[in-house]
Amino acid sequence: MSTPTAFRQRVCEAVADERVVRAVHLATWHKMEARAESMRQLRDPEAIRELAAQIKQHTLENLPHYLEQFVAQVERSGGCVHFAADADTARRIICDIAAAHGTKLAVKAKSMTSEEIHLNDALEAAGVRTVETDLGEFIVQIDHDRPSHIVTPIIHKDRQQIARALVRETGCEYTEDAEELTAIARRYLRDIFRRCDLGITGVNFGVAESGTLCICTNEGNGRMSSTRPRVHVALMGIEKLVPRLRDLPVFLKLLARSSTGQPLTVYTTLVTGPKRVDDPDGPEELHVVLLDNGRSELLTGEFAEVLRCIRCGACLNACPVYRNIGGHAYGSVYPGPIGSLVTPLLQGLDEHAELPRASSLCGACQVVCPVKIDIPGLLVRLRVRTRRSQPLLKRAAIRLWKWMMKSPTRYAWVQWCLSRLLPDCRDGWSRGGPGPLGAWTHCRDLPIPPKQSFRKLWRERLSDER
Amino acid sequence: MNADRSEPRASARAAMAAFIDALRRRLRDFESRASLPQELEQTVRQVVASDDLPTRFTQAATSVGLEVHPASPTDWMDLIGDILRKHDAHSVVVQLDTDSPLGKRAATELGNRLTADGFAPTTALDDETLFSADAAITSVAAAIAETGTIVCTSGPGLARGASLLPPVHVAIVQTSQLVPDQCDYFDQLAGQAGLPANINLITGPSKTADIEGILVTGVHGPRHVHVVLVSP
Ligand code: SF4
Repeated sequence: MSTPTAFRQRVCEAVADERVVRAVHLATWHKMEARAESMRQLRDPEAIRELAAQIKQHTLENLPHYLEQFVAQVERSGGCVHFAADADTARRIICDIAAAHGTKLAVKAKSMTSEEIHLNDALEAAGVRTVETDLGEFIVQIDHDRPSHIVTPIIHKDRQQIARALVRETGCEYTEDAEELTAIARRYLRDIFRRCDLGITGVNFGVAESGTLCICTNEGNGRMSSTRPRVHVALMGIEKLVPRLRDLPVFLKLLARSSTGQPLTVYTTLVTGPKRVDDPDGPEELHVVLLDNGRSELLTGEFAEVLRCIRCGACLNACPVYRNIGGHAYGSVYPGPIGSLVTPLLQGLDEHAELPRASSLCGACQVVCPVKIDIPGLLVRLRVRTRRSQPLLKRAAIRLWKWMMKSPTRYAWVQWCLSRLLPDCRDGWSRGGPGPLGAWTHCRDLPIPPKQSFRKLWRERLSDER
Repeated sequence: MNADRSEPRASARAAMAAFIDALRRRLRDFESRASLPQELEQTVRQVVASDDLPTRFTQAATSVGLEVHPASPTDWMDLIGDILRKHDAHSVVVQLDTDSPLGKRAATELGNRLTADGFAPTTALDDETLFSADAAITSVAAAIAETGTIVCTSGPGLARGASLLPPVHVAIVQTSQLVPDQCDYFDQLAGQAGLPANINLITGPSKTADIEGILVTGVHGPRHVHVVLVSP
């Protein structure tokens, strides 16, 4: 539950932790630069983004058709498709699959959708040990932490914390060397991979015409989890479809660039059905779990375009709010600008009414979004929908503002008043002021209004010229 | 057992079908505005067939951390020996697709040669072998010049684990296997009758930057990936 005070408290705690703020700043800044540089390699980045947006939008608007095609193709290739209307059903389906195979040990590749449905808890409760195999998610798991970024989950942790977690879990020697730490995790997880009998992955794109699942990872956790275990469960939101194989390059050329500035993730894995008779290895069963969990409700409404999201994380890196408060303060599985939309939309407006307000509406997210989601515009619309949750005083103030903005005389008068009321702090900024004005300027940089207004200058110059 | 499984399968089907129907009803009066773009290539393509593909491939592959070794039909086996020695590899999985342009006899010849040079080559693809091998040598299904990507697929005699489990992967690419752009590769796939169960586009060694943004290779997959690029 994200009440205004709980949210405010989390934000206060987050910005007080200078170490984390610095780490997040550095990492996001670096990724933004890498993104900008790699986008320049494309001949016409704007046009590709437009194409990506159009393909996704088309798919969403014709989702029944593409779902039907996708399901038929997955089954034709020997896979089994399950439909989960909500998180609870998805958890039950996956636990049933695990039970049917007597699974004791499952591995999981990085998947935001599985976080969304809190899959690990359900599996553990059903007696299935579930091990995260993305290095970042693995650290999060053994340190009983939560991911703070949808692409790089431990952006908030330093290597001392990581080292301590690994020592505790694996009993290894303490080291702060990133290579050694990775090697320790590799050895530990290799053993798990050899023994596990179920692999769970997310899906980046599902291709309707061929029933192919496209899974992108850099470490190879997606490959491992879909190669080693006897059963592969792929969990995907219904919005992940694209119509054709030849649509994939459009998205692949954008996804890794937007995420990390790479031209392509190290492993782009295309799975079409389970292992064939002659294949030497691979899972004997493939289960695709299609998750709705509120998505279909959005299809016909004004927020449909959020379903175009390919979870690249670029909007997080670009967001001045995310960069300062980090992922945990949002208190939701999906943080950052897209999380501020998706969380209230999928999980309830009232509980998360503060999230759409956690934005400066600067528009940086929209500029980087590979599928051109109008994030700031949608945030404003969500604010409108949740305005009843706001304090009376604030609502009254906004009414007043509206009234004032509607008449030039009123506007000029208020402007004159403010220029007298706002205290000059002598450093070029204004802080404090009477009543609610003080609260407002407390955390907002407000330049001191010039003694002469623009309108006044304009009038004077105009008369001079005449 | 079969009866056990078919029932949940039937109910899964019914649930899916019911959802699609409901969705269709929901969208019935909704006017689709976005048409499916047909002309993608013009916008998306970065590399064309007339470009110098081996050079483009080498540049792109090198920049993502693959080591490319130009070779000829007479010296590629020597090069592989050098690479294996550099990594102190002894046990080596050899997995060459008989359909690859290297020819049917290549695997046997390479095996003999490696044995003569003191390595322990094997064509076994069981877990025990794949998890313990020092290196794997594989053919590829294709390679993409634009991104420096090699493509490994599953199939008869082709294990997914070969290019994944051993710490060193040596891929043999013939220049004739190079396609210019991702567009070309996916067009090729779309035209294919049936797809292999598993296709991997490999663009660099397995890597992570999860620990303080420091780049580390060899997380789950190979730490070193070499490409022996054979021109006729
Ligand atoms: S909203 Fe756009 S930028 Fe943000 S994660 Fe989704 S696709 Fe990426």
